Amino acid sequence: MTIKPPGTASEAASAARRRPRRSIPAGRKLRRAGWLMVAPALAHTILWIAIPVLATLVLSFTDYQVFRAPRWVALENYVELWNDDVFRKATWNTIVYTFFTVPVSMAVAVVIAVLLNQKLRGRTIYRAAFFLPQVTATVAIAMVWLWMYNPQYGLLNGLLSMVGVPRQIWLGDPSLALWSVIAVGIWQGIGMKMLIYLAALQNIDQNLYEAASIDGASKVQQFFSITLPMLKPATFFVFVISIIGAFQVFDQIYVLTDGGPANATTMMTYEVYRSAFQNFRMGMACAQSVVLFAFLIVLTVINRRLTGGDEK
Amino acid sequence: MKKETRRVKASLAAGAAAFSLVLVACGGTDNGSEARGDANSGDSEVSGDITLLTPIYEGNEGKQLLEEELLPQFYEQYPEVTVTVDYTNFGSLNEKLTTAVASGLVPDVMMMGVGWIEAFASNGVLADLGEHGVTIDELSGDFTPEILEGGVWEGDLYAVPIMLDTRFGIARKDILAEAGFTEPPGSFEELREYAIALTERSDSGELERAGFDLLSMDLRQMYEVFLFANGGSLFNDDYTEPAFNSPEGVEALQFLVDLVQEDEVEDIGFSSTDIDVHPLLNGRAAMAVGHNNLWIQLQEAAPELADELMPFSITGTQPGMFFGGTLATVSSGSSHPEAAMALVEFLAGEEAALAANEQRGNVPARTALLDSEYVQSNPLVQFAMENLDVAQREGGVPQWLEIRGDFTPAVESALLGQKTAQEALDDLADGARAAMDR
Amino acid sequence: MTATTTSASHGAGQPAERRPRVNARRVLLTVLLAFGAFTMIIPFLWMILTSVKSPAELIEFPPSFWPKEWVWSNYTEALDAAPFATYFRNSLVIATGHTLITVFFGAMAGYALARIPFRGRELIFLGFIAMLMIPTYTKIVPQFLLVKFMPLFGGNDILGQGGSGWLNTWWALLIPGGLSPFAIFLFRQFYLSLPRELEEAARLDGLGEFRIWGQVYTPLVKPAIATVALLTFQDSWNNFLWPLLVTTRDDLRVIQVGLAVFQQEGTTQWAYLMAGTTLATIPMVVLFLVAQRYFIQGFATAGIK
Repeated sequence: MTIKPPGTASEAASAARRRPRRSIPAGRKLRRAGWLMVAPALAHTILWIAIPVLATLVLSFTDYQVFRAPRWVALENYVELWNDDVFRKATWNTIVYTFFTVPVSMAVAVVIAVLLNQKLRGRTIYRAAFFLPQVTATVAIAMVWLWMYNPQYGLLNGLLSMVGVPRQIWLGDPSLALWSVIAVGIWQGIGMKMLIYLAALQNIDQNLYEAASIDGASKVQQFFSITLPMLKPATFFVFVISIIGAFQVFDQIYVLTDGGPANATTMMTYEVYRSAFQNFRMGMACAQSVVLFAFLIVLTVINRRLTGGDEK
Repeated sequence: MKKETRRVKASLAAGAAAFSLVLVACGGTDNGSEARGDANSGDSEVSGDITLLTPIYEGNEGKQLLEEELLPQFYEQYPEVTVTVDYTNFGSLNEKLTTAVASGLVPDVMMMGVGWIEAFASNGVLADLGEHGVTIDELSGDFTPEILEGGVWEGDLYAVPIMLDTRFGIARKDILAEAGFTEPPGSFEELREYAIALTERSDSGELERAGFDLLSMDLRQMYEVFLFANGGSLFNDDYTEPAFNSPEGVEALQFLVDLVQEDEVEDIGFSSTDIDVHPLLNGRAAMAVGHNNLWIQLQEAAPELADELMPFSITGTQPGMFFGGTLATVSSGSSHPEAAMALVEFLAGEEAALAANEQRGNVPARTALLDSEYVQSNPLVQFAMENLDVAQREGGVPQWLEIRGDFTPAVESALLGQKTAQEALDDLADGARAAMDR
Repeated sequence: MTATTTSASHGAGQPAERRPRVNARRVLLTVLLAFGAFTMIIPFLWMILTSVKSPAELIEFPPSFWPKEWVWSNYTEALDAAPFATYFRNSLVIATGHTLITVFFGAMAGYALARIPFRGRELIFLGFIAMLMIPTYTKIVPQFLLVKFMPLFGGNDILGQGGSGWLNTWWALLIPGGLSPFAIFLFRQFYLSLPRELEEAARLDGLGEFRIWGQVYTPLVKPAIATVALLTFQDSWNNFLWPLLVTTRDDLRVIQVGLAVFQQEGTTQWAYLMAGTTLATIPMVVLFLVAQRYFIQGFATAGIK
């Protein structure tokens, strides 16, 4: 077989859609098989996710306090959100958080995945180590970061004092708290992304590297000319999922800062949670979710436009 | 084509097989009612299967207490009633209640916090206990008025208090003695004076001991203690307007701001609600606003300090103490209201309530329990009970659950100097007013 | 540095004088990796060390890292605190169930979305992604209502009225969370990256689409299956809120809900909590070690020729 340039597979898919196949009894049978294969997942998703999502959309136009039947209020929730300083702050924080955590943890993850894909002594241990934050209980992670960030005895201030920098109140200082949370976000996000890249690396044809070596390409050149392009479908996935995940960051905020100090680290999902389960304002929580949804849709569309997604 | 369909079928069958494999373990459909005592004496007029949703009794010991001691006694009295218990904790109680109310599947008996009754009662979720024979008058001998008020909405009783969570001043006697103080501070000015004297910093200015710790407590509850001590209140008398931004309220907050910013008796970040050890227990604070359950932590981790903890009322223009707590309610939709009522009366009764309080290190709501052995053996709880006449609660308006979440950021912004005390409380009051007008 | 095979052949076939340079790079690499790995392990280590500390040591200031005295009895006491055997079994059944459902139906759907051209495919794909964009906390109430009003279950009539539906049943624990668009999306991306020659050849041979999926392509995405299985299992194993909401009976509760018994208001029993949490984490570490064995390059020659 000949070595195809990257993107072949997706080309195949879109090409197949464009022109009818000649020799293969394609067409209807193929389409029907496609639908059959998607059907169970589609049915499940429609029932358990699409209906709740639709309900969210409808309820966002109501005053729904859970105790009482929803009351239609048209755009009132959205108007209130528009004037709500806290939600505006939460939106901004979410954007900043996403902007910094996603690219950094993706870059670190892809490099680590490539490194840990080589034959290396103790490779299994390394892989497990980098994946551990993903499986370690959130309470344990929170305990450790609270300890690292502790202004009195924390590790970070210990290191700073060695180089003569005054101690910082990592989570208590409004100008530092968001950055401290972002650092945890990067740290915790590496594991899953690494795993996906590691899996994706297995799908790259080794012949590509051999051919490139023969042509005299260096490792770094190979990384940029072969590995990254071949990882494009995985990267699209990781990117989209990471943005969605970052926009919905909740656990870290819940255990580390509760959105404080003075709302310096509150996030959109944290406000959704507060509206829904602390304030019993389900309608408002739905409106906040729809705003979040709108942001994500726009980002995903831009992402697909800019990078061409995974299609050619 | 035929072949194809067969393959499809085969695939689907495989899918179904995988699926049913999963369900093999799902045989049990027995219902989970608690085993019932087989005593045949007791009130057999009252009957029914009822459900109990509870954020207390949630740990292992709590569960044992409820299932092995309390419920058997209850079944002896009411052999025809069965109780199914749904355990949760305060952290997830809201989620449980929200889904329950939204789906209409409301547990017959629900435990809730002080400040919650207003919202649930005003929306018709709770049964008026007066209609089932328990009236305010009847209970007014057993509870102080302010505590009973926590279960009242618009003149009707909707909940019976079981236990209280109180917050008040706690000092380390030994540390105070080192500085020559033998009595706890009796006024805001004394508190400040003590706190300044007791604060210790290293040569490099690093705080080693806070003279007065106010950051280990949820800032809303901490502020409320000072608000009450300064003669302020959360709302006006007829609960139509927020009142925490009154001059008394602003003064109380300003006092706290000054403690942190001017007197530097504690640095922001020195402690927080996330800490696992209270700074009083490891000598990192000389005084603090504390919770009565600090005693439990002490017994477990630092029993040698038992004689050194000294509770005191934070006193401004009056002694102030804050209480929250747990109350038992009955669902308005319960199909066995008598059984539910019986369970509420039982769990809130002297014996059961005492056991539940002892298990959690909390303050019994019933005045008579002051003389119990448990209360007499726990100095913090005893102190709280002896001073219940000055204790004040939060809530009062149905929108309290909406309003309360904004307190902590507001107090924080004042302590951090982002806003003045007046601005912070005014903004907070604007939000509260908007919620109340909605 | 990109590939196993190439770096291995370097070692064997290089002239001797180039070795030191390679080794220096190796050392630097190892140091960097070891440092990175260490920062990742700290919380896990902390969790284990905390789980064997005594209450007195836990309040020390500043906190100790290494326990002075190893209180292993924390483990037995923690296990005695609740019916953890039941919780563990329940979690295992649910997580395994979710994993099987997700891998099977997710792979099938992912394959169709990646490799079978049919009308509406793009729309369905984008729909799946969009479904990930609403936070759990708003979806959870409608989902709860769906479960409660499930017709003909739990005493409900055909309109879903009158009973408790799937509440307090295995259905509620297994089905709603059984399949996530996340898995479908991931599978699609992996099927997408496979070469097209295979399907053309298979279709020419007259293989049906389900066979092409099951016999030709799926063996090539084992790493993806391992990834999805691992992430699904872990997600399900760690889920707390949903199992708490849809069950009231102790015999249906799961390990994360069980662990909450150690977190009482104000008086969290850290040592027990960490002991229980450590035990709850071990299955996932084991699962990872098993799954990662599939991340070994074997694709190049395995499938194509």
